[in-house]
Amino acid sequence: MSSSGPHKVKDIFVEGAIDPAFIATSIAKHASRTDIGAHEIFLGQVRADTVDGTAVVAIEYTAYREMALEAMTRIREEAFEKWPAITCLHVHHGLGLIPTGALCFMVFASAPHRKAAREAVAWIVDRIKADLPIFGREILSDSTHLWKTNQ
Amino acid sequence: MRILLFGSIAEKAGTSVLEMNAPSLHSLRHQLIARIPGLEQMRYAIAIDRRVTVEDQALTGSEEIAVLPPFAGG
Repeated sequence: MSSSGPHKVKDIFVEGAIDPAFIATSIAKHASRTDIGAHEIFLGQVRADTVDGTAVVAIEYTAYREMALEAMTRIREEAFEKWPAITCLHVHHGLGLIPTGALCFMVFASAPHRKAAREAVAWIVDRIKADLPIFGREILSDSTHLWKTNQ
Repeated sequence: MRILLFGSIAEKAGTSVLEMNAPSLHSLRHQLIARIPGLEQMRYAIAIDRRVTVEDQALTGSEEIAVLPPFAGG
């Protein structure tokens, strides 16, 4: 699920929220890669937005998986072309019901130095938000729902 | 041909799969608007074989077609 290299089609999707313990393990796995000097991690957390006085309590994520994974493969290949220094890149997105306060999204890049890792993660996060067909149904505290749209 | 629907569009249509016959993307758009209440007022994209496609093109029926509401990942 989380090996390095740009050319494999990987499943980025996990059922439910991303466990912080999984992220810790993910970081620990890089200890043997002593060419790495910098990790950059972006984490998306489900925010309790308020819509007309009613709070969002969870987001139910769905995806057009096949298209999303193809788009992700292209983004990954472009990222490795733009920042050849990147040693590895791990992307995960939760599907299904994810409550507010839980983590729904992780982009984790490592490199010998911070610049490439930072720039790559910022770029990849923006591309994923723009290009991956992932849909979010915001569940409100009064049991109604709204459909989330990325800005 | 099989049309995959997602998110708010599947909700509006009351199904996540439609069967339709359309010789072109243009024709398909008209049929979708007739079939899915409120679609004309919504923001959506059509993907053909997993790529968002804007220009009209002929359809053979073997394509994988999907109707996509605005993305919300991340």
